[in-house]
Amino acid sequence: MRKTIVLLFLSIIIISACEKDDFCIQNPITPNLVLRFYDANNRDALKSVSSFYVWAEGKDTIFKNVSTDSIYIPLNSQAMETVYNFSKGNTVNKFMIKYTPEDEYISRSCGFRAIFNEVTFTSDNTWITDFTPETVTSIDHQNEAHVQIFH
Amino acid sequence: MFKYFISFYFLFVFVDGFTQEQKVVLKETKKDSIVYKSPYGIRIGVDISKPILSSIDRLYSGFEIVGDYRISKRFFLATELGFEEKISEEDYTNSTSKGRYVRLGFNYNTYENWLDMNNEIFVGYRYGFSIFNQTLNSYAPNVSSTYFPANIVNTAITQSRLNAHWSEFVFGFKVETFKNFFVSASFSYKVLMSAKEPENFKTLFSPGFNRIFESSTGFGFNYTVSYLIPFKRK
Repeated sequence: MRKTIVLLFLSIIIISACEKDDFCIQNPITPNLVLRFYDANNRDALKSVSSFYVWAEGKDTIFKNVSTDSIYIPLNSQAMETVYNFSKGNTVNKFMIKYTPEDEYISRSCGFRAIFNEVTFTSDNTWITDFTPETVTSIDHQNEAHVQIFH
Repeated sequence: MFKYFISFYFLFVFVDGFTQEQKVVLKETKKDSIVYKSPYGIRIGVDISKPILSSIDRLYSGFEIVGDYRISKRFFLATELGFEEKISEEDYTNSTSKGRYVRLGFNYNTYENWLDMNNEIFVGYRYGFSIFNQTLNSYAPNVSSTYFPANIVNTAITQSRLNAHWSEFVFGFKVETFKNFFVSASFSYKVLMSAKEPENFKTLFSPGFNRIFESSTGFGFNYTVSYLIPFKRK
């Protein structure tokens, strides 16, 4: 009887000894802004942007001469807005994102992430004809596109 | 002829059976007159690991008083009272937990002592309760990109009057090294029952519980020296 109690205690200890909160396996933690590009004439069809350059105002180029129909770009959690330049060939289209950043706690290993609330998008529409939606209540994931851009 | 043999065997079977029967003579056995009495009383001590850890670990300081009271041959009511302060340095956060705790429960001695020895190998249960403050000293938002690096946020946020309740399973031993003077080591496995969590943060360390793992469990070690004040012997 006493031996079984001791054995039971030891087995509980051994079984429950391993833990998994030392490494942050969630990736990415802070969501990026996901954009998809559609054909302006056939609004259901994806359309790639060719010779596409992307950079934020005063920053290095993220995408250089690529041809793609979807991109994800980081937002500046230290500011209330991020201004991106989308360049198709030599035509530059400014795309402004205004938001309220918020730090949200995730876990011991991952720490805090930034989420973006009350997001509004504006564009000076050079090669982009239009986009939808113009506002998003919160960007807290990147499982699907946040904005559809038509060109 | 066979009938003869069968009857013959039957005879032997029964004869055997009856010859085995004997009158049982009860012998008077005297009870052993030497009874080893063991002391009953209150035992108080301190956890010696905590002051040592406090002096070598810059992130930790703590103190713990332990006590138990023997209620039967094998059961002891046990309690621990303490104070702990711990800085948790994680990859993205730095926080301090500071507060007091109490643990109440019992130990069951599984060890059969020889002669007049008073050693214990025990298992036990504790209910633990702590009241503490937690300060988030600084954190770096995990922005998962270097394009827009995040600044470390240094404004400390203190959340006071947090609490935690937990259950604890203890396994350990006690050895009487000198008369009435005990040295003990024990291991405990803890399961958090409920905790008042800070807003937009989590309790990473609770006094008395130690590190709270993701599965709301934890473990602890105790190394104590204690002195028994015997009330009676039986």
